[in-house]
Amino acid sequence: MRSRKSQRRIGDALTYLVFALALVFFGGPLLWVLSLSIRTPQDVYITSLRLIPETPTLENYTEVLYTAQFTIYLTNSLKLAVAGSVGAMVVSAPAAYAFSRLSFRGNNALLIGVLALQMISPLVVIIPLYRYFARLNLLDSHLSTAMVYIAILVPLATWMLKGFFDGIPPDLDDAAMVDGCTRFGAFRRVTLPLILPGLTSVFVLTAILAWGEFIVPYILLSEPSLLPISIGILNFQGNYAETSTQVVAAGGVLAMLPAIATFVVLQRFIVRALTSGAIKG
Amino acid sequence: MAPLLAVVTLFYLYPAFEVLRYSFTNASLQRPDYAYTLHTYASVLSDPVLYKVIRTTAIFVLASIVLQLVLGLVVAVAANRARRRRLPGIVFVRSVVLSAWVMPGVVIGIVWAIVLNDASYGLANLLFAAAGLGNVPWLSTPSMALISIIIANVWRGTAFSMILQYAGLQSIPDELYEAAEVDGASTLQSFWYITIPQLRPILLINVILITIATLNTFDMILPLTGGGPGQATEVLALRTYNVIFREYSLAGGAVLAVIMLLISLALTVGYQRLLRSEGAL
Repeated sequence: MRSRKSQRRIGDALTYLVFALALVFFGGPLLWVLSLSIRTPQDVYITSLRLIPETPTLENYTEVLYTAQFTIYLTNSLKLAVAGSVGAMVVSAPAAYAFSRLSFRGNNALLIGVLALQMISPLVVIIPLYRYFARLNLLDSHLSTAMVYIAILVPLATWMLKGFFDGIPPDLDDAAMVDGCTRFGAFRRVTLPLILPGLTSVFVLTAILAWGEFIVPYILLSEPSLLPISIGILNFQGNYAETSTQVVAAGGVLAMLPAIATFVVLQRFIVRALTSGAIKG
Repeated sequence: MAPLLAVVTLFYLYPAFEVLRYSFTNASLQRPDYAYTLHTYASVLSDPVLYKVIRTTAIFVLASIVLQLVLGLVVAVAANRARRRRLPGIVFVRSVVLSAWVMPGVVIGIVWAIVLNDASYGLANLLFAAAGLGNVPWLSTPSMALISIIIANVWRGTAFSMILQYAGLQSIPDELYEAAEVDGASTLQSFWYITIPQLRPILLINVILITIATLNTFDMILPLTGGGPGQATEVLALRTYNVIFREYSLAGGAVLAVIMLLISLALTVGYQRLLRSEGAL
């Protein structure tokens, strides 16, 4: 029988083998796109695996930012993502609180209803909305688009926030109410501060989802100055792909960077929100 | 609760009802008037394209489920082992894997369109060449294109599956493994008889969530294959979009949207049963 120690060593080696393979598969494409984005047009077509080109350049980034409206796209995405997730929090937080604290008739059925909404593709919802917005002259408007963003984020936000509210003992707000707070007062003064980390998690996660949202703006917006980055970059790829991959790569890096940076800085919150939303219910 | 109900009614119930209504008409995006008819159902359901699309979608979903579950589990098991042995590197690996998940779907498509490109900058073929293998036409033949969108989707979705399974692994009590060790069980045996049964509910939840996410995917496919070559990668969501916004058949698209709605409904019922049996609802 092999000694426990050598078994452990084999296990450790296997663990790091898995880590290494995961890093190559998940990180490799990202590094490659990053590498292409700092190449000159000549360096794009060299048949070599070297990551750092002989003459690295930032020219592709300046081209994307100055000639291709990317600054406008990025600003639009930021606006829509913030408006969408703030709005979703405003709508969801009171509802999630009610789901968690009050036992009213149909509570469970409604909660399952919310879960069902989360499963519906935004595409299904957007089809009739497109027709109405067209009739009401609300196409090509950030306001109406943000409303749909809110609607799409609300089920997930409600579901996850309910999980966070469930983690706070109801005795606390009962005590506040005994001391003369109204139910709303108890919510605002006692529960809300305690739920702040939960709210942050859900905010960050919904903002990241809104940043990548595609179908809604794809269908509701066509005016170039209103497009978010997800649509802008698709059009950009359509126009540029064949001739200048390095510029498309730079655009891709700019489009993914805000989401990845936010995530890396705040990943503790996001991982918590993810697990809480899906498992605890 | 009132804002939630307003959002649900305006942006979900009403649109869902409208989609159902349109599916019984001959509505087109190009003219405002329409008449009620069952003909749209008859023509959509007898169109051989629908069955090709369903087949493509089924392969896309099933392959994504299997690969995301297995890869997610492998990485999660490695991470969990590293946690128990206090080995460094978990957060770094998790960050890289999750980066693929947080970026916008369109950008994922662009990244893989670059990596799988036939041109000399295609990373996949460069690696194949370095390993002494021939060029693979990743995006230009129908069967390879389908494999390519599966790879890109797995690259995107594995993070989520990994996070859930990692959380699940952490909740398995150490005593179970210790008892198994005392009884002389091998690592493989305790994985098969303890880990898998303990993870079962999370694996099932994962199946449902992966199915939903994959069914609703079309942002990533547009820049990668555009649904082609031919219609080789035209999945149900993309087909729905194309029927409405390229063929202008609002009614035909509504029929497909109803099919999508029914699928999400069925999946929700499954999800709800699972959560209930876990006592989470």
